Amino acid sequence: MTATSDIDDIRRQVFAIVARQAKIDVATVQDDSTLGALGLASLDAIEVIFDIEEAFDISFPEQGIDFTAGTVRDLVDAVVPVLGAGGEGAGQ
Amino acid sequence: MSVGGSRAVAITGMGAISAMGEGAGALWQALRAGTSGIRPLRHAYAEELRVRIAAQVPESFDPAAHFPERLLPMLDRTAQFALFAANEAIAQSGLEFADAALAARCGVVVGTGVGGETTHDDQNRRLYAEQARRLHPLTIVRIMANAPASLISMAHGLHGPAFVVSSACASTNHAIAQAVMMIRAGMADVMLAGGADACLSFGVLRAWEAMRVLAGDDCRPFSANRRGLVLAEGAGMFVLESLAHAQARGAAILGVVAGVGMSADAGDIVSPDVAGGVAAMRLALADAGFEPAAIDYINAHGTGTPTNDASETRAIHEVFGAHARRLAISSTKSMHGHALGASGALELVAVLGAMRESLVPPTINLDAPDPECDLDYVPNQARPLPVAAALSNAFAFGGLNAVLALRAA
Repeated sequence: MTATSDIDDIRRQVFAIVARQAKIDVATVQDDSTLGALGLASLDAIEVIFDIEEAFDISFPEQGIDFTAGTVRDLVDAVVPVLGAGGEGAGQ
Repeated sequence: MSVGGSRAVAITGMGAISAMGEGAGALWQALRAGTSGIRPLRHAYAEELRVRIAAQVPESFDPAAHFPERLLPMLDRTAQFALFAANEAIAQSGLEFADAALAARCGVVVGTGVGGETTHDDQNRRLYAEQARRLHPLTIVRIMANAPASLISMAHGLHGPAFVVSSACASTNHAIAQAVMMIRAGMADVMLAGGADACLSFGVLRAWEAMRVLAGDDCRPFSANRRGLVLAEGAGMFVLESLAHAQARGAAILGVVAGVGMSADAGDIVSPDVAGGVAAMRLALADAGFEPAAIDYINAHGTGTPTNDASETRAIHEVFGAHARRLAISSTKSMHGHALGASGALELVAVLGAMRESLVPPTINLDAPDPECDLDYVPNQARPLPVAAALSNAFAFGGLNAVLALRAA
């Protein structure tokens, strides 16, 4: 089971990474924000993925990430199961 | 279509090495049959890599069978491929460079995206991983990007202008454009031009993985289920000469480069720009003196990435208007993969084959229509069709575009 606090921590870190790449205040980032809407074009989005992989020492699968339509929540949801945190949130 | 005009440049020899094997003939036979060269990745680090497939030159390629023993230590894999293709092209052209006057006016332009990557990667591993205290003394001459042009000039005694140009996936087309301009300008009578790349090292493959543009299972250009490009390696080289020079010596002309068009997106470093592709195609048509309606076939850049194929389709619509729907378009990358700097060369072999045999090679793996790719991509099977004039598109990372306009001899 992933503790709620763990998920909160993942969420906080992912938000920070997205905000840093987009050069915006982290308070501007919402769960439903798409990377495209935050001004992250394809290459910035790839850098976000890289930063998340580095931060959590994980590897996302090669396929299945939508770089422009994907939301910040999608990123958080993608990290949780890859981290092996298990739990009910891991149904990706 | 008649051959004439001082701006047109004849192609009188071609050579290639690719996943289809050794020789331009092997490549063309596979393309016209719709046969793919994409296979499971053959690599010392295959277990660690996420990339599973590639279009690699077959293991049966033995450099020792093609090059003198004293030359072998100087040759990175990229140079091996370039030299192999150049030798084949020169043999076909029938040119003899023992004639000093001719050799003085024959140059070489090779396009390469990366250069001596195999050597670079091997020597770095020795240095960083194996803690080697010294590197091979020929490391520099193997790595230097200009090595293919130098080695071709040395092997054949060519004393005209020789150098390498680099524009990622458009390198070959830029090299051929450069050679055409030099012949038109009277700076050379004969040019060896083409492209070579062999950069499937552990480091470069890892770097491609990080870009997340590689297809997992196959290359499916213009198909709704396309997921990205499939990396390849190889080379293609061509003998170019002024029409007058070719005709005066009674050379067999394989096809004619009628025009070239080049542009820079000056936009995103990786996302293609429709306007950049449009500009390059229009400039190539204008340089050739072709009306858009004169074009029968386009060998597309057609990488198989979601972005490129939709963007290229929009660009073709914009340039050709209603004629876009009458064009035969194919991405032969579906079969020979994306050989980066060498792609344009493998694709020029396809265009010359199509013009000479009146047979357009197919786009294979095209099984799911995509509303964003709504043109005739010659799906899955070659099509008999007279091809009097054609374009060959190359749109590189970095937003550098180069299009060749060709016509039948």
